[in-house]
Amino acid sequence: MYRNYAKQDVINNEVGLTVRLAAMNTTTPSPDAEDSVVSDEALLIAVGNNQDVDAFNQLFTRFAKKILALGMKLTRNEQLANDLIQESMLNVWLKAPLYDLDKGSAKGWIFTLSRNRCFDMLRKQKRQPNCISADDIWPLESGAEPTMVHEDIAGQQVELSVIEGYFDKLPDSQRAVVEQIYIKDRTHEEAAAHLQIPLGTLKSRLRLGVAKLRNMIGVDQ
Amino acid sequence: MNTEVKLHPSTELLNRFVQGELVTGKSVVVAAHVELCESCSAKAEELQALAVSSWVDPGNVLQPDQSSAADYSSTVARIVTYPQIKSEPIEDLVEVDIDVLNHSIKLPKVLAKAASQGLKWKKVPGGISEAQLFLDNETLCEFIYMAPGCQIPVHTHQGSESTLVLDGSFEDELGEYKTSDFIIRDAQHNHQPLSTEGCLCFAVLDSPLKFTKGLARLMNPVNRYKFKKAISRVA
Repeated sequence: MYRNYAKQDVINNEVGLTVRLAAMNTTTPSPDAEDSVVSDEALLIAVGNNQDVDAFNQLFTRFAKKILALGMKLTRNEQLANDLIQESMLNVWLKAPLYDLDKGSAKGWIFTLSRNRCFDMLRKQKRQPNCISADDIWPLESGAEPTMVHEDIAGQQVELSVIEGYFDKLPDSQRAVVEQIYIKDRTHEEAAAHLQIPLGTLKSRLRLGVAKLRNMIGVDQ
Repeated sequence: MNTEVKLHPSTELLNRFVQGELVTGKSVVVAAHVELCESCSAKAEELQALAVSSWVDPGNVLQPDQSSAADYSSTVARIVTYPQIKSEPIEDLVEVDIDVLNHSIKLPKVLAKAASQGLKWKKVPGGISEAQLFLDNETLCEFIYMAPGCQIPVHTHQGSESTLVLDGSFEDELGEYKTSDFIIRDAQHNHQPLSTEGCLCFAVLDSPLKFTKGLARLMNPVNRYKFKKAISRVA
């Protein structure tokens, strides 16, 4: 949420955005100031899909101080807190391809990673046995089912025909994947086999396609 | 998931849990309850969402959030040389069952993981068996099995004891506790747990318990010794 950005920035961005939107001639309801900065989610997905170093740099800048504050609060040790920044951001880089919008907000995902790494760092420092780790205590939601999106959309009571209209606007490769999963109800594995693409490619196309659809429908993320 | 759990960790404890502030033993017993209890699972998610909002609130950042990319550029340059993880790691599903009288009990995942290196059960007087887990150097963590009809002598706690009922039930002067209930006892409580039908619990103590009546008091040095040994074992 960027509600707290300096007012001047918001105004500048709103102006910029209006112009951009007019140029795109979209029918999306006019977004509020929060959409005016590239979202954490978009950055994280760029890091995951394209190994986008610029996007990673931006995430680093946005989150380093916050991770430091978390580390100070939990460890009360400046050295450890500084190590935590590197440790957490390394994990953000490594695991970015596993992130998708069904895992919730990027800041929530980064918080979870940072808290877990901090917990394990402290355990290691206190020489505690390693029969258990933070990821066992706070299991990362693995395999969050994209069916959640179905429910979201249903909850928004969007006309199906409208969604179909948006669906046609997706790039071919993404539309094929969304069709396999949401219309033909195939599993990720079946769809990847049918389309003859690797599972990872399928997942990232699905992620992008669903993100675009959501954006067009105006589902809050 | 059990939707009819009566006793839960307090909001404060759950909040400290999601913020990562609890020591490992306490984190594990709370996590095991959250795994079993639908309402605490939902509540923990809400609390985490609140924690995240407060975390990203610029008012809570140590220093003004100036562009610090320059300071970190060498770190970033190093990090981006690592190959990324492309697919969800396949979790080794650890399953641990504990056999009691006439059935076996499947442990919550977090406890199964913690117990995956094996449990050594010890019989203690009064029909009770205990198996310790060594999770950190501040708490005594153990599975406690009370055979049907067995009673633990009257005792109090110098610190606090968190107990999760995994199977069966027990009661004390303050109430009756059933599967998935989460109970906290501290120095204010002097209690004498009794289990009519038998009961398996997981308990985390942050200081030795102290028997307050009868011959059992002779056990107190043993309790203190046991606690010290548990926390020094991992130090």
